Amino acid sequence: MKCYLKYGAIISPLGDSVEEHYSAFFENKSGIKKEEKTGFNAENLFLAKIEGLGNSRYDTLLKQACEKLIENYSSSFLQNPKTGIIVSTTKANLAAIPLDTFESTRKIIDEIIHTFSEPVIISNACISGVLAVNTAADYIQSGKFNQVIIIGIDALSDFIIYGFQSLFALSNEACRPFDKERKGISLGEACGILVMKNTPDEDFNVEVLGGASSNDANHISGPSRTGEGLYRAINKTLERSEVSKEEIDFISAHGTATLYNDEMEAIAFSRLGLCHIPTNSFKGYFGHTLGAAGIIEIIMCMVSMEKNVLFKSIGYSEIGTTETLNIISENRKMEVNTVLKTASGFGGGNAAVLLKCIQ
Amino acid sequence: MKIIGHSYINPRGAFLNGQNVSIATEENYLKKYFSELEIDYPKFYKMDLLSKGSFLGDYLLRDSYKDLLHVENELQFIFANSSSSKETDIRFIESYEIKKNPSPSLFVYTLPNILTGELAIKHKWFGENIFFILTKFDSNFFIDQIEMSFLRGNEYCLCGWVEMKGAPEDECFMFLVAKSEVVNDNLSNKLNEILNTYRNE
Repeated sequence: MKCYLKYGAIISPLGDSVEEHYSAFFENKSGIKKEEKTGFNAENLFLAKIEGLGNSRYDTLLKQACEKLIENYSSSFLQNPKTGIIVSTTKANLAAIPLDTFESTRKIIDEIIHTFSEPVIISNACISGVLAVNTAADYIQSGKFNQVIIIGIDALSDFIIYGFQSLFALSNEACRPFDKERKGISLGEACGILVMKNTPDEDFNVEVLGGASSNDANHISGPSRTGEGLYRAINKTLERSEVSKEEIDFISAHGTATLYNDEMEAIAFSRLGLCHIPTNSFKGYFGHTLGAAGIIEIIMCMVSMEKNVLFKSIGYSEIGTTETLNIISENRKMEVNTVLKTASGFGGGNAAVLLKCIQ
Repeated sequence: MKIIGHSYINPRGAFLNGQNVSIATEENYLKKYFSELEIDYPKFYKMDLLSKGSFLGDYLLRDSYKDLLHVENELQFIFANSSSSKETDIRFIESYEIKKNPSPSLFVYTLPNILTGELAIKHKWFGENIFFILTKFDSNFFIDQIEMSFLRGNEYCLCGWVEMKGAPEDECFMFLVAKSEVVNDNLSNKLNEILNTYRNE
């Protein structure tokens, strides 16, 4: 059984439609900007913050994205008993603490999308989004569902900001993935929705060829110095997809812009002989959006395939990893058929998925 | 598929394959089980409740691992709970709201999947891992995930329902499942029976 991805919805500081994102990316516009007095000691931080979400940022963002989804898909499709739903989020509605932070997610989905089945929530740090896509593909291949809605979402909060500050992981300027001068992460917020189906549409389709995850078995919060988990996740993905690495046109890396993460990715790519393949990180546009990252970055991979354009990795000017990667420094027109998307995160998790464009 | 071992830990006792291996009455029951098992693993004391519970549940299962010491890649972790890392989340919020000093050592444990990282490090397992948030233990859900994992090429699944938030109803139920030719239609019922027996002990 084959699995095909379609756009569902996307909301970030760069817009609330795929078209708006395409325009913003085409102009290399970043959603990251200086936000006054947002740090724990009232520092000015660089964040990718969405205007107008108010105090219940997570709930408002999820509602807005679900409303967008129902504009594009019929209720008979969304409410079909063979339609599954997966949510990728690291923290959901933190404002609910000490009550259930995940309750509002189920309630909002039930009220707006009204799916027949209960949402399956994946909370596996920064690889949640890629895991959600791989899990959706499993559901389709096993025949349990014919289509799966995949939502990736996380909102900014003091909790997340202060946490990353306490780890000294935040940059004091907009993040610069893979660059020599990179200083760390810029946090962001977003919601992306993908729809996976077991039948292709007449127009543009992106097939999920295969995916895998692997643990570094090394450290709970630091990336592996050998890139072991990412190396194994990509290897397994290539095996399962029956794709040779020569076929990959573009790699959408995790690229958080911390010294250690980007170095780890470069080592893993080098061990796999992937250094020459055009690579970017979308974090320069969206910031690091945690549970949303995998989903919104896959949406932008699909845009690259649909429009045949590779987007510049914002913030990059000179290679800053010991292994030289082919980081995309200017937008480039190119036929993009096969894309490798990777993610790595706390808990030693790494995940990868291979996508192929079927026009 | 077949279940090759299961363990259960709650504030009253620790169990392996249905047998009671320890009884606790003190508040710090995880520490008691840890010292009784005479494990040399100082990192245990730094862990949050989720990681401590699953570390002990995993250790209890050590005899079941004997035949799979060679496995590096083909063992998947499938874990779930309903409250994520809430206990640590609350303590991290206190660190910045009350103590005015956001604690990095607490922050890293504010993700439930950290426990799978701890287990991977302990065993040098590089396999797949996933953490789900469910409203309650759902044996059918686990069986579906295990079946899909085996279809992807995995040989074993270490599964766990780890609800640890410092409450009397805390529990850590773990089970190790192997791929096998034996068709067992009632595995979901069996899992429910095992858990219900533990809960009623």
